[in-house]
Amino acid sequence: MKIFGVSLANPLARALRRRVKRAPQQDRLVGMEDALKELYELQRGEATVRVEELARTMGVSDEIAEGLMEVLVASGWAEDVSGGIRLTKRGQERAQELIRIHRLWERYLVEQEGMPLEEVHAEAHRRERETTPDEAAKLDVELGHPAWDPHGDIIPEAGRRVPPPAGSPLAACTPGDRLRILHVEDEPPALFAQLVAMGLKPDVEVQVFERRPGRLNVKVDDGLISLATEAAERIHAVPVSVLPVPLSELPVGGRARVAEVKGGGRHQRRMLDMGLVPGAEVTVMRKASLGDPVEYRIKGTAIAMRSTDADSVMVEEVRNG
Amino acid sequence: MDRGTITVGIAGNPNVGKSVVFNALTGSRQHVGNWPGKTVERAEGGFYHQGREIRLVDLPGTYSLAAQSPEEVIARDYIISGEPDVVVDIVDATCLERNLNLALQILELTDRVVIALNIMDEARREGWEIDTEGLEADLGVPVVPTVATEGEGLPELVEAIAEVATGQRETRPAEVDYGLTVEGHIQNLQDDLSRLGIEERGRWVALKLLEDDPEIVEAFKQGDLTVLELDAPSGSPEALRAILNRTVRLREGTQPDAKVEIVRRRYELAHDVVHRAMHRVRPVEESLTERIDRIVTHRVWSWPITLAMLVVVLWITIQGANIPSSMLDTAFSWLAGRIRDLLINLHAPWWVVGSLVDGLIVGTGTVIAVMLPPMIIFFTAFNLLEDIGFLPRVAFNLDRLMRAVGSQGKLTLVAMMNFGCNVTGVFACRIIENAKDRIVAIVTSPLILCNGRFGAGLALIILFFGDRALSVTLIYLAVSVGTMLLATWLLNRVLFREEPSGFVMELPPYRKPKWGQVIWRSLLDQAGRTIYRAVMIAAPATLLIWVLGNIPSGVPFEQTAIGWLVHSLAPLGRPFGLTGEMLTALIFTLPAKEIVVPSLAMTYGLQTTLVESRAVLDYLAQTWTPLVAFSFLTFFMLYLPCLVTVWATWKETRSLKWTLMSLLVPLVTASVITFLVYQGGRLVGMS
Repeated sequence: MKIFGVSLANPLARALRRRVKRAPQQDRLVGMEDALKELYELQRGEATVRVEELARTMGVSDEIAEGLMEVLVASGWAEDVSGGIRLTKRGQERAQELIRIHRLWERYLVEQEGMPLEEVHAEAHRRERETTPDEAAKLDVELGHPAWDPHGDIIPEAGRRVPPPAGSPLAACTPGDRLRILHVEDEPPALFAQLVAMGLKPDVEVQVFERRPGRLNVKVDDGLISLATEAAERIHAVPVSVLPVPLSELPVGGRARVAEVKGGGRHQRRMLDMGLVPGAEVTVMRKASLGDPVEYRIKGTAIAMRSTDADSVMVEEVRNG
Repeated sequence: MDRGTITVGIAGNPNVGKSVVFNALTGSRQHVGNWPGKTVERAEGGFYHQGREIRLVDLPGTYSLAAQSPEEVIARDYIISGEPDVVVDIVDATCLERNLNLALQILELTDRVVIALNIMDEARREGWEIDTEGLEADLGVPVVPTVATEGEGLPELVEAIAEVATGQRETRPAEVDYGLTVEGHIQNLQDDLSRLGIEERGRWVALKLLEDDPEIVEAFKQGDLTVLELDAPSGSPEALRAILNRTVRLREGTQPDAKVEIVRRRYELAHDVVHRAMHRVRPVEESLTERIDRIVTHRVWSWPITLAMLVVVLWITIQGANIPSSMLDTAFSWLAGRIRDLLINLHAPWWVVGSLVDGLIVGTGTVIAVMLPPMIIFFTAFNLLEDIGFLPRVAFNLDRLMRAVGSQGKLTLVAMMNFGCNVTGVFACRIIENAKDRIVAIVTSPLILCNGRFGAGLALIILFFGDRALSVTLIYLAVSVGTMLLATWLLNRVLFREEPSGFVMELPPYRKPKWGQVIWRSLLDQAGRTIYRAVMIAAPATLLIWVLGNIPSGVPFEQTAIGWLVHSLAPLGRPFGLTGEMLTALIFTLPAKEIVVPSLAMTYGLQTTLVESRAVLDYLAQTWTPLVAFSFLTFFMLYLPCLVTVWATWKETRSLKWTLMSLLVPLVTASVITFLVYQGGRLVGMS
């Protein structure tokens, strides 16, 4: 007997069967939607995706992957093409929506519920399927239209394409680079937990120290960590000062979203009333001839501000992609 | 139907054309003064509509009603006071979202609101289409599209005001949803408040408590809620403080910060409303402002442009004023002659003729003749540059330089105004919202050469330095600006060590000048009033000088009051190379710096009145050495502000300390520099 291509003989399937008994309809969707998201990511490189690729990235057998693909095609999210399958327009939209909801939940869990970073993926995964687009929109408002999830991935706007992970893999960086970690892949969970435990998580600044065959040595704070190249592949980083930075550090022409207005009292209130509320978009127009103050465009108005004043506004840079 | 007066408060962000609407509606029927106890201008005016008087009160332009600045407190308190029957909020259609931040706050205070959607012409030019009815439905109050500069939409605006005032048109103001957490807190606090009998505006008070509003929090701390103008009893001080404590606890437990969340939610609603109502019908183009700014604020070009602008304005002022000045002078001489003849025919005693004609008319006439033309030209040029949006860019370009002396970019605008007239310069310091920077700007204003000193000094410079006059003039300009910067730096170092200075300023788009506004303001508001004040002070002063030069009557010059003054002041001036005659003349010059040459004529005993005469210049050219002349000019350029400026400083600071400081700073500067000039000159062998 097979349930979406899973042979009941193996232990994973047995576990699944127990859950299926409780809520068959829902669990079926979970498996399908995971495959959908993976397919979306895989399809970035090539037009079509083969069974083996999906199986490898999901860490399941080819059989299971094939079963999942059949279900996706049957539900109209993907279509058979020569050499593999491809997402339909509907499938793409659903995948984008799921990714968006997942990342919103992760941000919410870290920010509002104070959940440790290693735990949010699973919880967000659990919640994403119960979230309607309307609820997602509310969540987005509640969080102030965040640009990034806590792993350092961009949260796409509703109905927009999911940009590829920002930055480049740590493994590809040259020694001496000072980098800020943007994204640490949360699969497989064991490796992710280990990396986080070593202090390698988003927003942490690292310096690539030296590269040895198969290993990469990086400096974090004062300690030295030796990483296997496979682990270093899973960490994406950008040169320091791309994320989240004081507004004054944004280059001319840069666009960003306000994340936080620091300080308090009069100054903070003045900034907020000028339209620098969390989620608002700011563009750097130009610097005065002596480098300071800087002209910003905020909600259709040009506002000149000294860098000392702009320092209290923390922003997340928005990149076109 | 009630035929009483309708009182309307006009609110809005800065740069949205508030004063254009106000002027267009009231015409010349306006009265300008200050808000009680504040140095913030209050303009009031009125007109009739269908037999009813409509009284307009222009509120200060603000971005918010958060009570963070005197302007915000005034605007808010006025709306709370219940005095206005209707509040008109003027919003800029080209940046509606930010303007709605204020509109939504007004709607939280009163439901009798009309929104004027101004600057519609620019919005249309930028390719926007605005669904006015949709806006009305979303905001729950009448929205009238206007182009105030063309008068478009104003009749409809008046109509809407009347309808809302009489209740013919019902309003249902939009309410901001502050999100589950904050709304919960509001409900909690509102319950507490209603237990104290505060039902009216309960939601608003609760909201302000959560926002940590300084005025409301202070009222609760003091246990006195009269500022809220509530009818209800305001409960015991203990109960109020208990509510305050509870607020602090609620606020501290809120994540994210309730203060931030409240403003964010308001903007959220504004964003949604704008998103629904505004549609682009044409793609975005690079705006004219963008193109101009690329040159005007260019890394290299901004410098010659700013400098050229300053030179051109000063040059036009000095050159352009010559002819009208001499015409006015002739006119006053003619008038004085006629009155003298008339009085002599009437057999008036000599002291009546002397004091009235030679003292009052000629003295005051001289002041008007030399002050009025350059002032009108300068103010027109200055206001024109401000109106088209150029001046904010000057402040933007020069802020970094001003930061070096501890101040900010707007100081450059005040300094420019000071080149025209220190009195207006002192009033112009209002544009600096930072209290510390404003005080320093007021106190250092007299160090900038005003038109009066510049013009009068120029005559003496040309007399003594001939073909080197230009370089000497430039030296004085440099000394003037240099000492102002130095004094600013020193005051900031010594008196305001701890206080930071900030610079946040809107750069409005470039706009076509509104000639009517510019000329109106230059002629009546600034030149007219400055001259009026100058005459009010100059007239009695010139009369007094005449009296001093003529008592006791019929004695030789040395024995008159002036002769006595000259004699007793002489020792004071010696270290600076100044004589008693010079010092006495400088005292006579305090009412208005323009009369320095006639004053010298009097103190040197060449004549007994302030009538201008060429004779004195010839006399001085023979008596003064170049070093003495240079010392005198240095002292004259810097020494003390004129009496009208002192009066203005007192009006603006309301502080004896700062008024005295504004006397002390130039006096000390002038003494030190003149001493150095004179003694230095003697050391290198000049005499």
